[in-house]
Amino acid sequence: MIDSPLARFSPFLAFARNNLSRARARTILAMAGITIGVVAIASLGMFGATLEQSFLDTSDDAIRTVAVGPGEDSEFGLLHREQVAEIERYAGNGDVYTLTRGRGEVTGLQETTSASLVSLSDPEVFVTAESGQIPQNWRSGVAIGNELAETLGVQPGDSVQVDGESRRVVAVLAESSRASFVSTGDAVVLPPGEFGDGASQVLIRGETPQQAFAISDRIDENLNSDRRTRYSVFDAESALEQFNQQIGLIRTFLLAVGGISLLVASVSILNVMLMSTIERKEEIGVLRAVGYHRLDIVKLMLYEAALLGVVGSIFGVLISVGLGMVMNAQLLSDPLAFSGQALQYTVLGFLFGTGASFLSGLYPAWKAANARPVEALRD
Amino acid sequence: MSVISATDAVKIYESGDKTLRALDGVSVDVNAGEFASVVGPSGSGKSTLLNLLGLLDEPSEGSVTVDGTALSTLSKRERTDLRRETVGFIFQSFYLVPTLTARQNVAVPGLVRDDRSDLQARADELLERVGLGDRLDHYPNELSGGQKQRVAVARSLINDPDILLADEPTGNLDQDTGAQVLDVFGEITDEGVAILTVTHDEQVTDFADRTIRLVDGRLDDD
Ligand SMILES: Nc1ncnc2c1ncn2[C@@H]1O[C@H](COP(=O)(O)OP(=O)(O)OP(=O)(O)O)[C@@H](O)[C@H]1O
Ligand SMILES: [Mg+2]
Repeated sequence: MIDSPLARFSPFLAFARNNLSRARARTILAMAGITIGVVAIASLGMFGATLEQSFLDTSDDAIRTVAVGPGEDSEFGLLHREQVAEIERYAGNGDVYTLTRGRGEVTGLQETTSASLVSLSDPEVFVTAESGQIPQNWRSGVAIGNELAETLGVQPGDSVQVDGESRRVVAVLAESSRASFVSTGDAVVLPPGEFGDGASQVLIRGETPQQAFAISDRIDENLNSDRRTRYSVFDAESALEQFNQQIGLIRTFLLAVGGISLLVASVSILNVMLMSTIERKEEIGVLRAVGYHRLDIVKLMLYEAALLGVVGSIFGVLISVGLGMVMNAQLLSDPLAFSGQALQYTVLGFLFGTGASFLSGLYPAWKAANARPVEALRD
Repeated sequence: MSVISATDAVKIYESGDKTLRALDGVSVDVNAGEFASVVGPSGSGKSTLLNLLGLLDEPSEGSVTVDGTALSTLSKRERTDLRRETVGFIFQSFYLVPTLTARQNVAVPGLVRDDRSDLQARADELLERVGLGDRLDHYPNELSGGQKQRVAVARSLINDPDILLADEPTGNLDQDTGAQVLDVFGEITDEGVAILTVTHDEQVTDFADRTIRLVDGRLDDD
C-alpha cells in the first residue's frame, strides 16, 4: 500500500482500495448493484435507440415518399397526363412515379381468386423479384406477389388467367417490406401502362424525409385551395411525428426504469458505506488522532465510494455493450452497428453509475469525518 | 524543558441536567525525554487528562500549552497539524488496520504528509527498532498481542513526535510481553521523546521516572 505503483500515484486511493477488500462479499454486492443500474440505463437506452434505428432503416423509403391521388373535390376520378404534369411541376427534384390499381379475377393452376392488380411506371423501384426476373423493357407477362403465388400454386414460367386473358408469370415478388411503400403480397403486377386509362396515384420520392414533406406541402398549397381539395396528398410526416413521440415515451420509460434501479443501487452503497463507518469507528478515530484532517477522512471515504462506482460502472458498460451487440445483431443485422446515440447511453450509464455512487458516499463520509476522535476511542 | 503542559485544567461533562467535573484544576508538565505514569482509580479522570494533553479535546477552563503555544489560540485545523507533528498515541486495544501489513500500518499516519519519499524506509527502520525487523510483512492477525502493541508504538513514532501518550498500553498484555514494550519505551525516552502513560500496571509505575496520582479529578500529591 505504500510501495505499490498505485500507492505512489495516490496513497489514498491504495488505502481506499485496501479498505474495500476487507468485506469482500459486501463490496462485490454493492458493486453488482451499480453494475445492474448501469446496465439498466445503458442497455435500455440503447434498446430504444436501436429500435428507432431499425424502424428508420426498414421504412426509410416509405418515409420519403409522398402519395398524391384525386381529392374529394376533384373533377377527375383518375390522374391523367394533365394532372400528372400538374403535380410534377411542384415535385422539385423528387422522382415521380405513377401507380394504377384495380381488381380482377386471377386463375392459376389450382384456384381462382380475386386479387388486386397493380401497374407501376417503374416497377423496379418498388418491387423485387424473389424468383424469376422482371425484364428491362417489360411489355408482357405478369409478376405475382408471393402470397398470391402460393395460393395459386404458380411459379415463374407458368401461366395464369387475368380477367380471362392468359398471361405468363415472369417473376414471383419478394415479400414487400414496409420500406417498399406499395404492398404487393396478394397482387398481380402488370407491365407499365398496361391497364386503366389513368393513374390512381402519383408517388413522389424525395432524397430525405424532410424534402418529401416539403414537396407534399408545396403540392397541397399550390393545387388545393381552402375550399377545394382537388388532390389528396399523403406523406409520412404525421406518422413519423407520432413514431418519434412514441419512441420518446418508450425511451423515457426505459430511462426511468434504469434510474430507479440505480437509485436502489445507491441506497445499497449508502448502506454499505454507513456500515463500514460504524465498523471502523475506532480506526477512523485513530486516523484523526494521528493527524488526519476531517477532509482527509472525507477524501478516503469518497475514494472508496467512487471506486465502488467506477468498477461497478465499468462492468456495467462492458455488459451493456455486449447486450447492445446482441440487439444490433437482431434488429440491425450487424453487431457493431452502434449509433452515436446508443453509445451516448453507455456514457450516460457510466456517469450516472459513478455519480450515484459518489453521491451516496457523501453522507457516510461526512458522518465519519465529523465523529469526534475522543468519542470513537473511548473503550 | 516542558513539551506539553496543562495549567489548572478543568473538564466539565454535561449530560442531561447533571454536570460532572471529570478534571478539577489539574496542572501537569511533561518534560522532554521523561517517562511519567498516571495512576488513579477508575473514573478519576486519567483518560480525560490524556485527551487534553493529546489535543483531542479542549479543557472547559484552564489551558493547555504545546511548545509554548497555547492551544486556545489555534484553529481546529492547526490543532490537528500540531497533533500530527508533536503527539503519538498508543491505545490499550492497539487499533491496527487488519488488512494492512505491519509496515503499512506503521506508514498510515504518514500518508497525509506532503513528503512521503522516505516513508517506507522509515517504517521499516522503526519496526526494526521495536524488534520486529523480521515481521515487516505480517498482518496483525499473524502477530502476538505484544508484537501488535510494538507495531502500534512504531506507528506512533512515524511522524517524529515529541511525546507519546499511552492509555493502558500493557493492559491487554501479560507480564513478559508488557516488559518488552517497556524496554522499547526506555529506548525511546533515551532519544529525548517524552512518554506519558496511564496505567494500572505496577511494572509500568516502577519503570517510570515519575508517577502522577489522580483522585476524583484532582492531583493527589503525597
Ligand atoms: N464524554 C463524556 N460524557 C460524560 N461523562 C464522561 C465523558 N467522558 C468521561 N466521562 C466521565 O468522566 C469521568 C472521568 O472519566 P475518565 O475516562 O477520564 O476516567 P479514567 O480515569 O480514565 O477511568 P478508567 O480507569 O476506568 O479508564 C468518569 O466519571 C466518566 O464517567
Ligand atoms: Mg480511562
